[in-house]
Amino acid sequence: MYELVLLLILLSLGYIVGQYAERRHYRSILDREERLNSLPAIASRYPPSEPHYHQALVTGSTVISVDYFKRFLAALRNLFGGRITAYESLLDRARRESLLRMKQQAAALGASMVFNVKYETASISKGWGNSIGSVEVLAYGTALIAPRDR
Amino acid sequence: MKYSNPRIPEGINVGDRHPLRELLTLTGGALLALVFLSLLMGQFGGRLARLLPFEHEVALVPVSMLRSDAGPELQAYLGRLSTRVSEQLDLPPQMQIRLHLDGGDTFNAFATLGGNIVLYRGLLEQLPHENALAMLLAHELAHVRHRDPIVGIGQGVAIQALMGLLIGDLGFAALGSAGLYTQLHYTREMERAADAAALTTVRGIYGHVTGAEDLFRLMQVQRERSGSGEMPAIFSSHPLDRERLQAMADLAREQGWSGAGQTTPLPVAFDAWMKDAASRAASGER
Repeated sequence: MYELVLLLILLSLGYIVGQYAERRHYRSILDREERLNSLPAIASRYPPSEPHYHQALVTGSTVISVDYFKRFLAALRNLFGGRITAYESLLDRARRESLLRMKQQAAALGASMVFNVKYETASISKGWGNSIGSVEVLAYGTALIAPRDR
Repeated sequence: MKYSNPRIPEGINVGDRHPLRELLTLTGGALLALVFLSLLMGQFGGRLARLLPFEHEVALVPVSMLRSDAGPELQAYLGRLSTRVSEQLDLPPQMQIRLHLDGGDTFNAFATLGGNIVLYRGLLEQLPHENALAMLLAHELAHVRHRDPIVGIGQGVAIQALMGLLIGDLGFAALGSAGLYTQLHYTREMERAADAAALTTVRGIYGHVTGAEDLFRLMQVQRERSGSGEMPAIFSSHPLDRERLQAMADLAREQGWSGAGQTTPLPVAFDAWMKDAASRAASGER
């Protein structure tokens, strides 16, 4: 009985806090994506040859953890199979946040675009079983900075 | 060449199902599967347990566990009554009934493994007449006759094994302490069957069914007094007392059994025996 109450408390806490944080984060993401839209991130490996851009590696990394509610949902989903929608939004946020951080770094360097953008992901909970459910999403690319004398 | 990032519409990479709806669907499905598996395992365990010969069931009960606070006269009286009940129930000869009187105040009585029946003074001293006592004994003996205790344990162990497999904590300790399962939970079907057999038995002994239902009235009163009231039928393994009364009235009417007989009084010394049992329990003399 005690365990059930604890479970319910953790679930509702995870749900309320997690949903609030997610909504706030999405608002912030949409807002910053709008502002940084003028700085395109391009997947192509072949940057324009003219003018002779300065190049710099820019990275953006996000580490996210799963809240109790989402973990519970995902565990249930494991029984039946199908899309783990609870994790989809989490990873979507992480990808977009990483890209934004990368772009912010590029903007700080005065870059006009970022080329050869790639994503990497790493699980931090490796070997720890269920104790830590965290994942890192890293976005990196080559920032192209227009030469100042032109 | 002009480079730009298009604005991608939301909701492509993210499912738009509400998380609470998902939670409800998934927990609902999981519970349904769990209930189904439990029922299946329970049936399986019950069927297996029924195959265990009664002689082996007796060996599962530690003798030290069961004691009796009854004085010799009371024990003899209860023994005589239970023999009459056994004969009516047509108990197989190897099903030896052993009655134990607990001098405590608890309002209860139960049948457990190996034909052991425990009666509490708290219940006995409130019985208005012998017919109600016979009904009580017949009900518990019917459980023994139907092998309900071992089937109940078989079901319990099978379900526990299932839970152990699913949740990881293997509760096989239940096997070792099977004899301690004094508060067995019987299914409603088991209770119904025991009620019907008991009523038939009382009819066989006294020629009428008058007073048999007093046992259930007493239980109803007791449950209301203890404050818990009547629990909804689904939460209680005992079907609602009122429902049981109704079922028995229906049975008596169908069979055309008379409800207008004279109840047989309990022996004059019954109250004194009860006090004796209480003091035996208090002094720890057994």
